[in-house]
Amino acid sequence: MFDRRLVQNFDWFILLILMGIAAASILNLYSATFPLREQAGSHVFRKQIYWYCLGFGAFLLMTTFNYFRLERLAYPAYLVSVALLVLVLVLGKISSGSQRWLSLGPISFQPSELIKISLVLALARFFSEKKEFKEYKLRDLWVPFGLILGPFVLVVKEPDLGTGLLLIMVGASVVFLAKIHWKSILILIISILVLAPFVWLHLQPYQQRRILTFLNPEMDPLGAGYHINQSKIAIGSGLLWGKGFLQGTQTRLHFLPEQHTDFAFSVWAEEWGFIGAIVLVGLYFLIILWGIYIAKNSKDKFGAMLAVGITSIVFWQVVINVGMVTGLLPVVGIPLVLFSYGGSSLVSTMAALGILMNIRMRRFMFQ
Amino acid sequence: MKIKEKKWIRFRIIVVALFFVCGFGTIVARAYQFQVIRRDQLRAMAQSGYTAIVKLPPDRGTIYDRSGHELAISTDVSSVYAHPRQIKNKLKISRTVARVLGISSTKLYKKLRSNRSFVWVKRKIDPAKADEIRKLKLKGVGIEKEKGRYYPGRELAAQLLGFVGIDNRGLEGLEAKYDKLLTGPGNELIQMKDALGRPFFIRRESSENKAIHNLVLTIDKDIQYRAERALLVAVKKSRAKGGQCVVLDPSTGEILAMAVVPRFNPNIFSRYPHGYWRNKVVTDCFEPGSTIKAFLLAGALEDGVLYPNSRLYCEMGKYKIADRVVHDTHKYGTLTVSDIVVLSSNIGAIKIGQQLGYDRFYNYLRGFGFGSQTGIDLLGERSGFVRSPREANSVDQANTFFGQGLSVTALQLAVAMGCIANKGVLMKPYVVKKVMDARGHALKIIRPKVIRRVISAETAKKVTAILENVVSERGTGPLAAIAGYKVAGKTGTAQKVDEKSGRYSRTKYVASFVGFVPAENPRLVIATVIDEPKGIPYGGVVAAPVFREVGQWALNHLNVNPSVRLAEKGPGSKAFTRFEQCDPKSTFASEDQSGLAKQVREGFLPDFRGMGMREVLCKAVRLGLKVRLEGSGFAYKQSPSPGAPIKQVKYVKIIFRPPRS
Repeated sequence: MFDRRLVQNFDWFILLILMGIAAASILNLYSATFPLREQAGSHVFRKQIYWYCLGFGAFLLMTTFNYFRLERLAYPAYLVSVALLVLVLVLGKISSGSQRWLSLGPISFQPSELIKISLVLALARFFSEKKEFKEYKLRDLWVPFGLILGPFVLVVKEPDLGTGLLLIMVGASVVFLAKIHWKSILILIISILVLAPFVWLHLQPYQQRRILTFLNPEMDPLGAGYHINQSKIAIGSGLLWGKGFLQGTQTRLHFLPEQHTDFAFSVWAEEWGFIGAIVLVGLYFLIILWGIYIAKNSKDKFGAMLAVGITSIVFWQVVINVGMVTGLLPVVGIPLVLFSYGGSSLVSTMAALGILMNIRMRRFMFQ
Repeated sequence: MKIKEKKWIRFRIIVVALFFVCGFGTIVARAYQFQVIRRDQLRAMAQSGYTAIVKLPPDRGTIYDRSGHELAISTDVSSVYAHPRQIKNKLKISRTVARVLGISSTKLYKKLRSNRSFVWVKRKIDPAKADEIRKLKLKGVGIEKEKGRYYPGRELAAQLLGFVGIDNRGLEGLEAKYDKLLTGPGNELIQMKDALGRPFFIRRESSENKAIHNLVLTIDKDIQYRAERALLVAVKKSRAKGGQCVVLDPSTGEILAMAVVPRFNPNIFSRYPHGYWRNKVVTDCFEPGSTIKAFLLAGALEDGVLYPNSRLYCEMGKYKIADRVVHDTHKYGTLTVSDIVVLSSNIGAIKIGQQLGYDRFYNYLRGFGFGSQTGIDLLGERSGFVRSPREANSVDQANTFFGQGLSVTALQLAVAMGCIANKGVLMKPYVVKKVMDARGHALKIIRPKVIRRVISAETAKKVTAILENVVSERGTGPLAAIAGYKVAGKTGTAQKVDEKSGRYSRTKYVASFVGFVPAENPRLVIATVIDEPKGIPYGGVVAAPVFREVGQWALNHLNVNPSVRLAEKGPGSKAFTRFEQCDPKSTFASEDQSGLAKQVREGFLPDFRGMGMREVLCKAVRLGLKVRLEGSGFAYKQSPSPGAPIKQVKYVKIIFRPPRS
């Protein structure tokens, strides 16, 4: 069932931007894993190529149907995602100290990636269900809060504080579009301030340490602050034009931790300098603007909320990751979306962007 | 969707958009802050980072002798280091490594147990051992190349050259004195740790702006070797504590040899007592004894208070000064001034001194350089001590006249004698002739430096004539005589002060001989000092043979032609004839020369055969002939042949060959 509009309304420009990011990502992974070549690191960038192929496939797939259908699928998708999160806690594969992975035959993936989109879908569905326009009071909001907090708790249990916080940020971005009574907002803020110490006590020691070192990175330059400082040094020593491809000494010499995932941006900034960093951040910025533009021009509330939600997924991940590697935010383990190595994240994000494209392409349908 | 709600959502979307723009603005600003504003700071951190710097010893310049033989060189050596933190089984590894390197395993174990990230296990080991360690492939143990210092001559000129420490910094001798020039840029091992905590090294030249310089010394390694050999023999023979010998060129002040016995090997300097390291030629003072009489004589003749033939009564070997009685070893009645020096009468010396007066004697001693540093380019030079006229009572004065109660260094003696040899002009001694850059270009050439004229050339000549007699059969130093050359010198035998009693010891002496050769045109000044010889302590017996030994060999080595030459009347004829002093200023005085001059005046080419090179040159210059010299030794062929009409001769080609033994 090929639709002519599929080609007509397709945003080729955004495809170009995505390809630009993909190229930068693969190039950067090649450099980041270059010193690991002998230790089976050479497959990392090649694998990323496969993931990108898969990702572009998912992207295109998501444009083929009317996104309106997703509204019906929203809750079931959400429930499946939550179920997978529970499953991962029960029998998840242990990887680097936390249970985040679920193995399905030969491939393993992170259900926490799935929940990001499901959450946005569910929230968009919830807020667009009410056809009349009214202010939400606190008692009306227990469903969306439950939608957000449920997966939050599960993800933090893994423990993956970063993704947990990301879910709250994304959720809040969507909820922000709904009109909420100011008293409710006030109560919300107060309850967060009261709950914060309890959350702190529930954090793993390493998570507490990370937050403390974020507040004072020089406290322990060789311990927990090491990552931040090395990353800062890497980025700073890139200067305006960078050290050149494969020339980053901090990278070459393994000063950077997790340089193909969480700290991929540091590698990029060291080798390509401020200019390279601006170009990369600029590409993301174009995607964000595009997403906002789609939200603004979408024909219905569901589309607008979905668009804002998906855009906010990209936005928050970019800002948290770059803020993290530049020492603006604590190290919470959020990779740079579409840029760092990681299959589940890549494919799910590309699928989400496909939904965005879908909304864009069908903005005129019923108007 | 109602319009109102749509407006609301659009408004909210714009707010979200603005928020997103702010978010991106923040991270861009952050990147700008790091990469543009704080770049220098962060770049510096990237360079220094969390790394350790291990300094490797800098490369050093080579020290050459005057003809380019290497005396001190830099070599590649290997050093073993360890990263204690990486070593798991410290006990086992310290045992294995200690066994290969032959060091204490407990000490190594202690090092490995430290919390340091880098320790040297053993430095500067030989390559075979390094290979052995390398083959063991121990984790956390590595080998690094660094620069070592090697003295190929081993003991040769050790005290003069000095040595360097493990860090290649000069500790003694010329190595210390010229440390700044010799030291090149250092190397640094930048120890870095990657994110997995594995240390690795980056080797780089440190940023110090330093260049290697090579030194060329005035030292002649062959003369140095001979001097050390002769001194060793003399010290052994006399069972002395030690000895020193300086050889210098009186016309320039260049030190040709500076030997100190007992010797040490600077390659393994730490195995010797510290006292062996000192260059005692400049750092140790002694009472010179009778050698000082040469300078007393020079002063008295220069001042004109006495003449060589002036007669003085020597009190039959006993002379009372204040409450002391001075004895002579032999009883003398009346002696000429010349004989007082030749026979070395102490009483006679006092008489000369009394005629000259202590004040003026003091001034002459200071003039010859006693009581002050010679200014040689060596470390730790002592100035010695001469009692000033105000401080000296009559007994002190009397003692000083025959060389007791003042202290000098062996170098001062040699330099002062060099002044007499150099016709009364005192030269500044030096050991570094040339400073070269790493490519061998001379950056600085040290020229001979005149300090002052002390006595007239005429006085010097008179003194020389008397000192020549010291070495005659009549004098105290016949053992210094060198066949074929005229030697001038003075013996000395001084009592040492017993450190316990504070009095002059009856068993401890310092024997010395200082002289020069050939007397008429001195090329070498040699001062020999033997410390505490057992048995016969006389300088003429103990020290004079060193002079002869070194002098004889060095004269031959330097191609100095004998003063008395073989007259080549025909093959096999070995009649000795005296040869006049070769002085460009002197007139055609001697018969031989007037004969030559006559020949020239008559228009025929003279016969150069049988002459030494120096002699040939002197004559040729005086006769206005151009010569081309080949070979060494004595002239045996010339072309054109003697008697050729001189007007047709453009130049004379003269071929030399060494004398047949």
